[in-house]
Amino acid sequence: MLTRRSFLQTAAAIPAVAASQPKRIAMLATAYTPLSQAQHMGDRFLVGYPYGGVWRMPEAKLTSLYVEKKPEGELSGARAREFGFDVYSTVAGALRRGGKELAVDAVLIFDDAGEGGLFEQCLQVFEQERRGVPVYQDRQLAHSFEKARTMFERSRRLRFPVLGGTSLPVTWRLPAIDLPVGCRVEEALMVGVGEGREFHAIEGLQCMVERRRGGETGVKSVQLLEGDAVWKAGEAGRYSKELLISALSRSDTPLGFSDADSRPQNLVAAGQLQVLARHPAAYLIEYRDGLKAAVLMLDGAVKDFNFAARLSAPRQVLATQFLVTPEPNATHSACLTQKVEQLIAGGAAPYPAERALLAGGVLESCLTSKEREHARLQTPQLKVAYQAPAEPQFAQA
Amino acid sequence: MSDLAMNSMNNLVRPKLAAIVTAYYKYSHAQHIVDRLLEGYGWNGQHHYPPMDVVSLYVDQVGANDLSRERAARHPGMKIYPTIAEALTAGGSKLAVDGVVIVGEHGTYPRNQKGQTQYPRWEFFQQVVTVFRDSGRSVPVFSDKHLSWNWEWARKMYDTSRELGFPFLAGSSLPVTWRTPSVEMPLEASISEALCLCYGGVDSYDFHGLETVQCMVERRKGGEKGVAWIQAYRGEKFWEALRDGVWSKPLMDAALCRSHTLVPARAGFTQVFPGVEDMRRLVKDPVAYRYQHSDGVKGTVLLMNGLVRDFNFAAYVNGRSEPWSTQMFLPMPDGRTTLASFFSPQVNHCETMFLTGKAPYPLERTLLTTGLTAAGVESLYRGQQRYETPHLNIAYQPVRESTFWRT
Repeated sequence: MLTRRSFLQTAAAIPAVAASQPKRIAMLATAYTPLSQAQHMGDRFLVGYPYGGVWRMPEAKLTSLYVEKKPEGELSGARAREFGFDVYSTVAGALRRGGKELAVDAVLIFDDAGEGGLFEQCLQVFEQERRGVPVYQDRQLAHSFEKARTMFERSRRLRFPVLGGTSLPVTWRLPAIDLPVGCRVEEALMVGVGEGREFHAIEGLQCMVERRRGGETGVKSVQLLEGDAVWKAGEAGRYSKELLISALSRSDTPLGFSDADSRPQNLVAAGQLQVLARHPAAYLIEYRDGLKAAVLMLDGAVKDFNFAARLSAPRQVLATQFLVTPEPNATHSACLTQKVEQLIAGGAAPYPAERALLAGGVLESCLTSKEREHARLQTPQLKVAYQAPAEPQFAQA
Repeated sequence: MSDLAMNSMNNLVRPKLAAIVTAYYKYSHAQHIVDRLLEGYGWNGQHHYPPMDVVSLYVDQVGANDLSRERAARHPGMKIYPTIAEALTAGGSKLAVDGVVIVGEHGTYPRNQKGQTQYPRWEFFQQVVTVFRDSGRSVPVFSDKHLSWNWEWARKMYDTSRELGFPFLAGSSLPVTWRTPSVEMPLEASISEALCLCYGGVDSYDFHGLETVQCMVERRKGGEKGVAWIQAYRGEKFWEALRDGVWSKPLMDAALCRSHTLVPARAGFTQVFPGVEDMRRLVKDPVAYRYQHSDGVKGTVLLMNGLVRDFNFAAYVNGRSEPWSTQMFLPMPDGRTTLASFFSPQVNHCETMFLTGKAPYPLERTLLTTGLTAAGVESLYRGQQRYETPHLNIAYQPVRESTFWRT
């Protein structure tokens, strides 16, 4: 008898070769450099990628490219020559492929500056032509929530779908669990690491809690704490130490004694967390519906992303690791590539871009809190409401 | 249920364990396994502290990198004894523990002309059993990896455990670790052919590959019936066998598509699908074990160092032409992690056995894979001849419930 999982695996088998004319993709990137996200995903639209146990050749192909920079060792010229597409000197050129009209079916944007420059230029072309095509925007539209929100609203007016975010929400999970749709979440906590990966951690939290009863309603206030204030907040119960232990119990990379001799550790109970995480940060998030959540950036203590939540109905603690697989394969980016394929093929984002919009807004407000001496800030602008898709979106096939 | 199990279930008694190991240093199996019993480990979203105590430790080889003395100093409830018998009797005359953990992996032991490292698992087991016999009672035993490099000894270990009637758990962590995707072979599936594409050496990771295949195919219709023959292919003969279709290339391709560590066949790319010429260039010393179960099901283990660093499974299931596949995921402490968390489910199954007095999955699986490992080595030694295995006429039924890590 087939289990539900094994049935899904079989059902998910997709023909390895596309039958119809491939959709045309323009890629806009800061640079096409080795091991950049642009390469991880761009290459997959040229040489294929593993999905569902087959090597999948996408039904969409890179047909034009714009790069802002060409640092030593970058790949744009080599890829264009080998795969027969052109590198254009402007965004409009890449979107129109040298002609007068939009000549692509989808756009991938990898904008390292995070100021929304590439998306803005893409929008301008779409607005001139009064039509858009599906866009995947790596991470977030812009660091500035106001700018991101405005651009997002413009995308809505032109009615083209946008998929945003990182591979964290869609990668493998250990264990392979999601929060049940409609569950009551009492409290949630995410442990993250990496300079510049705060967005990833907030988005990881968001892709879980958005499934709670009532759906996402937005964020009421945020506060960023750093240093000893992080530990004091834990003592004061501003985040749950129980959930912190739960999240860390999923880590494969505790440092300190585990790094020295591979012993497992309960970092919290042993008091090692404070020794190891020398520059901790806590992103305290209060949602409009009352949910309290925290993202703890704990560089020096662990090296992976782990989540825990306490549910009241049904009463339980759920915890999981977001599996970031090793370079150079970084197969988590294959999971995301498959979502981008869905966006392009179906003309609809498999999950709402509001998630990345809200996560970006939370990050920006937390950085403002830091500037304002770590004050708690009301965030009326973050009234971002949306419903998560009922079907889990992480890698399961 | 034994008194021990009853007491444990009532939380009256914490089982006392003796650990008998070859060497205890960073990343040795003993360190991974015994450390989890001493320090606890992440389990079900908690830091789990096993409800049992390692009270005795015997370490066969104590080198400069030894950790056992540091561990004993921090865990004074664990005493180090100079002999296995003393560890089991806590220095007295009778068995004084409720369970035994044998880890005969790592340390410096001779290799024979067939390339087998002569880890003293049989010798350790014999000494344990001598104490059992002298004491007139036995307790549950876990023995890490294959039972022995020597088939006859392995068979005697199995027979002795049945004769004395003690629960005996053994094997690899591969059957019980995470899977990506997290799928189980449907019980009573019809399977025609199964394959594991992995890495590592002969008389080493080949055993893990064989356990990977076996924990899946044992769930097929009718259960396990044993293996009739095995043939090894190495070097040029491997490539000839691949060309001749000795094993299914589509199964191999599906397994490659489950890898998270596929070495890019082209410089400058992060992940490309390798052609056979690419594989020939990347894999200098490929080894294949091809074998057939007595009911006709075919198995293959491919050791492809240079191509992947993980364990990927694929099979033809229930008459479908598309392969069914997954990866047995090992978060390896090779720079990727600091812990080898795949030992956690293995240790947790040991705990279950020590608490309930029942082995959670059949020893026959590991008896068979022990025999297959030795038979694969034998085929290689005999010039890659097909080697008949009437002695691997081992029939058993799998446990119905899944025992791999899902929670």
